Amino acid sequence: MSLIPAETLARVGERLGEPVSATLQAHEAERFAYAAGDTNPIYLDDAAARAAGYRARVVPPAFLVWAFEPPRPLDALREDGLWRDAGPPLRLAVSRILYAGEEWEYRAPVHAGDTLTAETRLAALEEKTGGSGPFVLITTETTYTNPAGEVVALVRGKRIAR
Amino acid sequence: MTQTQLEDVKPGDTLPPLVKSASRAQLFLFSAATHNPHRIHYDREQAQREGHADVLVHGPLQGAWLHQFVQGFAGPRGRVLSLAFRNRGPAFPERELTFRGRITAVEGDVVTLEVWEEDDTGAVLMPGTARVRLPRRSA
Repeated sequence: MSLIPAETLARVGERLGEPVSATLQAHEAERFAYAAGDTNPIYLDDAAARAAGYRARVVPPAFLVWAFEPPRPLDALREDGLWRDAGPPLRLAVSRILYAGEEWEYRAPVHAGDTLTAETRLAALEEKTGGSGPFVLITTETTYTNPAGEVVALVRGKRIAR
Repeated sequence: MTQTQLEDVKPGDTLPPLVKSASRAQLFLFSAATHNPHRIHYDREQAQREGHADVLVHGPLQGAWLHQFVQGFAGPRGRVLSLAFRNRGPAFPERELTFRGRITAVEGDVVTLEVWEEDDTGAVLMPGTARVRLPRRSA
């Protein structure tokens, strides 16, 4: 039996949720850089960033995803600590979803203070068989667009559902 | 910080490795910075219930380290154009995790890299590829 119901498979290509706009906060980007142990001055110091050819400090690239995390109340937590609405909203015959990797494209620098719009689509659903049985490889694609309409970054997120 | 120049690199070159080891407190801070309450990153019993020997280093933290590794190679004036990685195995705190890479191609001013993270047994946890644009030596 397929792990992917036909009506879920039919959603490949669809947008998942509404586009979300956010202004990137310098202190949140710094908190992310420090938590990751990344003290590259292009993320922390405007003068160093200008010397490197940027107009001001840039945000750590992997921070982008987290700048768009919605605030959620405690009753949105599951017993295991995951948010009930974490992960793509897809109906699949699976019990667990695991982080499987990311594919990033960076097209223009992103600075603290920039306002971007994130839009996520369901890019692919592939049923596969691995060492521990059948699974679904879920690929979402999120674009980050600036107010001029240019895509400044794009990430394909991979998850394994089994 | 030193600046890698396009003229200084060629296919086959290896990158200086980056060694990381996460404390449990760092895992907590990364959970906080990413609004991630998943208990497998701070509650060993929950991690064991989910089949892991200990709490896990977040996949996205390892991804952030890969970014740090590639940007460190590129230098301040180098630009990371793309970075793709797969999460292949679990990483644990208080263990050395080493990021390695080598240059697979140079086309124009764009350098393609094979990069990976391995644990202290040599197991590859996160293989990936990256493309960076390097500055030419100032004319």
